[in-house]
Amino acid sequence: MKRRLVTWLLVSLLPAAFLASLALGEVRLPLADVAQALRGKGDPVAVTIVRDFRLPRSLIGAAVGAALAASGVVMQAFFRNALASPGLLGVSSGAALGAVSVLALGVGHALWTVPLAAIAGAFVATAAVVVFARRGAGTERLLLSGVALNALLDAGTAFLLSANAGRLELSGQILFWLMGGLESRTAEHVIIGIPSIVLACVLLLPLGRDLNLISLGEQSAQSLGVDVRRVRRRLIVLSTLLTALATSVAGVVGFVGLVVPHLLRLSLGPDHRRLLPASMMGGAALTLACDVATRLLPGGLRLGVVTALVGGPFFLWMLRTLP
Amino acid sequence: MSALTVRALTVHGRLNGVSFALGPGTLAAVVGPNGSGKSTLLQAAAGLLPAGGDVELEGRPLPRIAVIDRARRLAWVPQEANFQFAFSVREVVSQGRYMWADDGRHVDDALTNFDLQDLADRPVTRLSGGERHRVSLARAVATGAGLQLWDEPVAQLDVRHALEVLALARRFANGGAALLVSLHDLRMAHSFDRVLLLQRGRLVSDGPPEEVLSPAAILEVFGVHARFGASLHLELPDDRRERA
Repeated sequence: MKRRLVTWLLVSLLPAAFLASLALGEVRLPLADVAQALRGKGDPVAVTIVRDFRLPRSLIGAAVGAALAASGVVMQAFFRNALASPGLLGVSSGAALGAVSVLALGVGHALWTVPLAAIAGAFVATAAVVVFARRGAGTERLLLSGVALNALLDAGTAFLLSANAGRLELSGQILFWLMGGLESRTAEHVIIGIPSIVLACVLLLPLGRDLNLISLGEQSAQSLGVDVRRVRRRLIVLSTLLTALATSVAGVVGFVGLVVPHLLRLSLGPDHRRLLPASMMGGAALTLACDVATRLLPGGLRLGVVTALVGGPFFLWMLRTLP
Repeated sequence: MSALTVRALTVHGRLNGVSFALGPGTLAAVVGPNGSGKSTLLQAAAGLLPAGGDVELEGRPLPRIAVIDRARRLAWVPQEANFQFAFSVREVVSQGRYMWADDGRHVDDALTNFDLQDLADRPVTRLSGGERHRVSLARAVATGAGLQLWDEPVAQLDVRHALEVLALARRFANGGAALLVSLHDLRMAHSFDRVLLLQRGRLVSDGPPEEVLSPAAILEVFGVHARFGASLHLELPDDRRERA
């Protein structure tokens, strides 16, 4: 009963958030105008706003949210710890440092330079987590290694920021990575972000059964027939890629990968065949909703700030409920 | 043909050149003091640890059998049953059919055999240590594998469930399965067909319990005096024995 309710809620929330993201902002458009503008008809200003500005932004917002939530689900199952997530483990910070390094060094402006650097940074961070935290490690060890890694990586980013403090445009760009946001996303970002994220999600979905067994212990999973080495490699690569791609198009957006899988696990149960697709949808809806909030709330809030405002208190609540 | 053949099995610092063969229909116990290598032996025999030496399942070298085919022949129960996520008891036991494309066979029997019917919908995170162990055992039995390696299956169980698990093990062996079960309680090992005695990673003796578990061997390996005779003796009532 609860399961069905939550499923319906997800199925209706995602399109609602997407439509809101197309309709709301400095210029508020009625839904009828949005529908017309999507087809290229009606007021040309509305067409430009919807097709050139809001549609890429909404698509990227949805993809980023799905990617981060899926990545969080995988990390939690892999580390057998409900607190594991791309942000807390330092993978997001690794991706951001990679991207920022490229920006600061001014190494070319080819389409794929920043995403590739983000991917490289994310993989270095993931490798460090796997070495230092080990699977099945206690919550303390996992989170403390995340604290140390985040501090180290953020120090690198801060250094690049201070070293380039005189170059205003560049330091603005770097701040973007640190606070996350979906402003002025263009077709370029859609090309980088959407197909790769969709592909990684599609490759992840059939691994739900394997994730179920791995989340209860690797040796047991292996003894029951899961080819753990092969599956583990896929899981690490896909979850790291998803975080890196999301970060490369939207900067550091925290807590989506923590909050969404945890809430959905409470309501849908831990079966990853349900949890993975549900988290992708839930992550997309949450990110779109937070992005709409950045446009409606005063003070020019950034997406990463809003997700942190939602996720921070949630995280503290989780710490209280966990054993 | 042996269900399991192990030759010169070695795990650095933990297991040293252990060899034996286990035929179908055998109920064998592995005993030895803490740190003697019981768990390591079971894990290495199941192919879950990098180890030197040879392991063969039904005459085929283990490394040449695909992981999924191994799982169809061999089931392993870990010493620690820690479940981090709140799957239901039934969901966990059903995972025992992973290698058979989740066909659900044997799941209800396994739940009944390990007295878990009433707990089937309970999250495994809200079970006692002994109940979790029974879930692990039920999952291994649901695989239908003919070779069962159980690591300390009864150490955490109350006396009735412990005796029931041993009675089930006996029934599986009578049905043709091969079972290798590590035990702490030497009195329980006494009812097995065969006992493998480990000391500091070496197999020091292997044979029927009355030979292997002689007072002299027990004094030598465990450092305690063994005496046979009347003391508290526990067994299942007839109706329970039949059920098991």
